[in-house]
Amino acid sequence: MNRDFALKTLFRVLHYTVLSLAVIVAIFPFYWVVVTSLSTSSHVFDFPPVMVPLWHFHNYVRAWDEAPWARYFFNTVFIAAVTTALVIVTSSLAGFAFGQLRFPGRGALFVLLLSLIMIPNEMLLIPNYVLLKDLNWLNTYQAQIIPYGASVFGIFLLRQFFLSLPVELYEAAAIDGCSRIRYLLKVGMPLAKGPIATIAIYIFLGSWNAFLWPLIVTTSSSVQPIQVGLATFLSAHGTAWTRLSAASVFTTAPIMVLFLILQRQFVEGVSQGAIKA
Amino acid sequence: MPARAARIRRWRENLGSYGFITPAFVILGAFVLFPFLFVIYLSFHHWNLINPNPPWVGFTNYIDLIHSQTFWQSLLLTLYYIAGTVPAQIILALVLALLLSGKIRGLSAFRLGVFSPYVTPVVATTIVWLWIFNPEYGLLNYVLHIFHLPALPWLTSPTYAMPGVMIYSVWHDLGFSIIIYLAGITNLPRDIREAARIDGAGAWQEFWRVTWPLLTPTTFFLVVINSIGAFKVFTQIYTLTGGGPVESTTTTGFYLYQYAFTYFKIGYASTVAVALFIFILILTLVQLFLAERRVHYQ
Repeated sequence: MNRDFALKTLFRVLHYTVLSLAVIVAIFPFYWVVVTSLSTSSHVFDFPPVMVPLWHFHNYVRAWDEAPWARYFFNTVFIAAVTTALVIVTSSLAGFAFGQLRFPGRGALFVLLLSLIMIPNEMLLIPNYVLLKDLNWLNTYQAQIIPYGASVFGIFLLRQFFLSLPVELYEAAAIDGCSRIRYLLKVGMPLAKGPIATIAIYIFLGSWNAFLWPLIVTTSSSVQPIQVGLATFLSAHGTAWTRLSAASVFTTAPIMVLFLILQRQFVEGVSQGAIKA
Repeated sequence: MPARAARIRRWRENLGSYGFITPAFVILGAFVLFPFLFVIYLSFHHWNLINPNPPWVGFTNYIDLIHSQTFWQSLLLTLYYIAGTVPAQIILALVLALLLSGKIRGLSAFRLGVFSPYVTPVVATTIVWLWIFNPEYGLLNYVLHIFHLPALPWLTSPTYAMPGVMIYSVWHDLGFSIIIYLAGITNLPRDIREAARIDGAGAWQEFWRVTWPLLTPTTFFLVVINSIGAFKVFTQIYTLTGGGPVESTTTTGFYLYQYAFTYFKIGYASTVAVALFIFILILTLVQLFLAERRVHYQ
């Protein structure tokens, strides 16, 4: 009995130790970037390294002045917000149609839609670049928004939701003279709050973290998002570790705060998005 | 004529229904379906983006691709990257997901901790890792120094650049696999695990006889989706190594980018894109096939 107890305690200790170790490895780089960002350009090369913050905030001031960060932030938020809104509109309309309405070719069109997820985004970089170049859309906001304005995952998720909604509800509303679009706006979308939130977070996160596409279609800082701006800053100040770290901190902080507030929805969005997409 | 009126009404209703799906189909048609066909078309041409009449060259690009040493090298490097990241992620994610699915104090804090790297932007976090990997002043070599191990030229040598990228990717992406495993563990039929317990199976036996087999579909899914991700990996290579030194980290996804947007060999790069599509398609089909078989077993 005593041996059992000892074994159990040992397992418990082991359990916590492994988990704590994993968390330390996962978050230590965040701690380290904060420490570096608060160091000075001479102390940063100390050996052994100083492990505690030195509280020199001037790196933040300098880094902030060295690039148009406010512009980058605005661009990122604007692009992510409009893309998310557009995806919600297109997904709600199409998801509602596939889930609640009957029309010829519904099944075939849905299969065609699903088959599109087989096409990897990376394959579309070249042709879409050429297309946008011909449209004179290079270095614009719409180049970063419109191509991502519809999502197969979003349509699929809302279609599943609307399939589970009783058709009687819709028919009753139709008898009362409620048009379909009104029904979708007043009844359907409020009921679909859950899946819409999942889609919104998934798309917003993807848009915020997007890098390759904006790297290709933009060259002007006036429309570039923060990730591309940060990469430009990195190639210009490749060894200024304190300022680079400061920039890394203030560009990551907003998405981290959002993650802390909406953890559950984030996890939901990521797991659903992965399985369906 | 009520029949005719009804028909007209039905017609108008159908037209309205198509209206609902039109916005999504226009966007997906213009920016997914059309470019998909267009890139195949481009792969049969030589083009530098400037020439207004790119010449048709038949299968030349495909033949060049097959004979290109650098292409096969990029493929081998992709496989190397897969071998270095996927098994490590599967094992670590499974262990951590099992530990995180138990009843423990501070569970949500632990979960938050291990997920956080996954939601952070790659460019921003590679900056930290560039600093950690710094051969002279970096933290990693300091840690090696503490353990009396020699310092390594992490991202600056052809031998250690790829392992460096792998370490970064496992660190950044692990949260994703943990989330998926946690979802899989939550969906396990509780009664089977309880029955095993009642039959006197120990924790170890329960894992090997019950949990691991039941999680096989999740594991397959993660192997495939992470391998597909490896073919697409770009941002961390761009910021950590730029594909070097001496192309030692130029995986197929990065190779595609270089040929398209650095060398502007649009036709050849399109052929690489088609090859990439085929590799990913094969992986997807394998996944579907295996998923199907699992269903029949049960």
